[in-house]
Amino acid sequence: MSVPEIQTPADDASLAIRVGRAAPGTDREAEAELCRRLGPRVRLYGLRHLRDEAAAADLMQQVLLIMIERLRAGALRTPERLASFVFGICRMAVLDLKRGHARRDRLLETYGDALLPPEAAHPDPEDRERLVRCLERLPERERTVLLLTFYDDMPAEVLARELSLTPANIRVIRHRGLKRLRGCVNGEPK
Amino acid sequence: MIAPACQSPLEWMTLLGYWLGELDPETERGVEEHYLACDHCSDRLSQLSTLAKQVGAVARGSGVNMVINDALARRLSDDGFRVREYSVPVNGSVNCSVAPEDDFVMARLQATLAGLKRIDLIFADARGTFQTRLTDIPFIPDSDGVVFAASIETVRALPESTIQMRLLAVGKDGERTIGEYTLNHTPYAARTDD
Repeated sequence: MSVPEIQTPADDASLAIRVGRAAPGTDREAEAELCRRLGPRVRLYGLRHLRDEAAAADLMQQVLLIMIERLRAGALRTPERLASFVFGICRMAVLDLKRGHARRDRLLETYGDALLPPEAAHPDPEDRERLVRCLERLPERERTVLLLTFYDDMPAEVLARELSLTPANIRVIRHRGLKRLRGCVNGEPK
Repeated sequence: MIAPACQSPLEWMTLLGYWLGELDPETERGVEEHYLACDHCSDRLSQLSTLAKQVGAVARGSGVNMVINDALARRLSDDGFRVREYSVPVNGSVNCSVAPEDDFVMARLQATLAGLKRIDLIFADARGTFQTRLTDIPFIPDSDGVVFAASIETVRALPESTIQMRLLAVGKDGERTIGEYTLNHTPYAARTDD
């Protein structure tokens, strides 16, 4: 599968240049703007690899700090490659955090999780009601496949075995269901 | 704020495959480098991750009626949910309820499904009056039936009532009844047999 390549947008690149050219820590405005732009994207990377909101927030903070530190030190030679530069930091930070999680899991095994705060807030009740109504309108197969998929983010190969379907079939049903569900939740006309 | 449009946006199917860890490492890397540089595609990925999380929460909260499979029924128990399951024989009936501490309530409709291409599930009230029809439900041909998990909130709100369910095999030559199943529901507080 090919993925469309993309160059770092001029705004991101020019901000990175400003941070690199200024005396360390003097262009706070450019640093803050760059963090504001990249933070949500790094958080998504963290959610995808760590599957945990708190860990993704930790990752975002760590990556942005390292990024700014390296930019100040002039470590980014080609500003157009900022995305690759950030990607590299993300990968290393995820490895660090996973090692940290292994340590945390060992501590949890020892002391239990009673001391941890509850995870993630629940969605707005109105949003949830709308989502339930939209799920109820889906054809049965699409609803089942989406619910089984997102119960614990199950890949098509695994779900296909459980439902006696092919992975390609699951992907098609899933894609159709998700399109319909997005449209319904966003109030788009059919 | 609306993100600026991307000239070559990542397809939803690719984003979903990425989110579920289905892509090969090279494609995954391409996707990550793309959205790390792209407000438009990272916005879409964010929408997708939010929706995935919310749908997962509905599934884990038994928030909607669903036809599921044995694997999920087992996983729910393994994950610590309290699952109340009623096994209903072909053309049989069960007395059922839902306890305050239950997380899921499900009916296993026993049936022989081998060789079938399409199954519909029909709901009727005590007099047999048609209520709703679920068409082309997912099923596993070599399993011993269909597992229907009802929305826990809906079941809790039910008064004493009888629900009839009918499985239909649908084919080119029309449809035939596989089995009829009767569930006699009593609200938990009104039960006298405990």
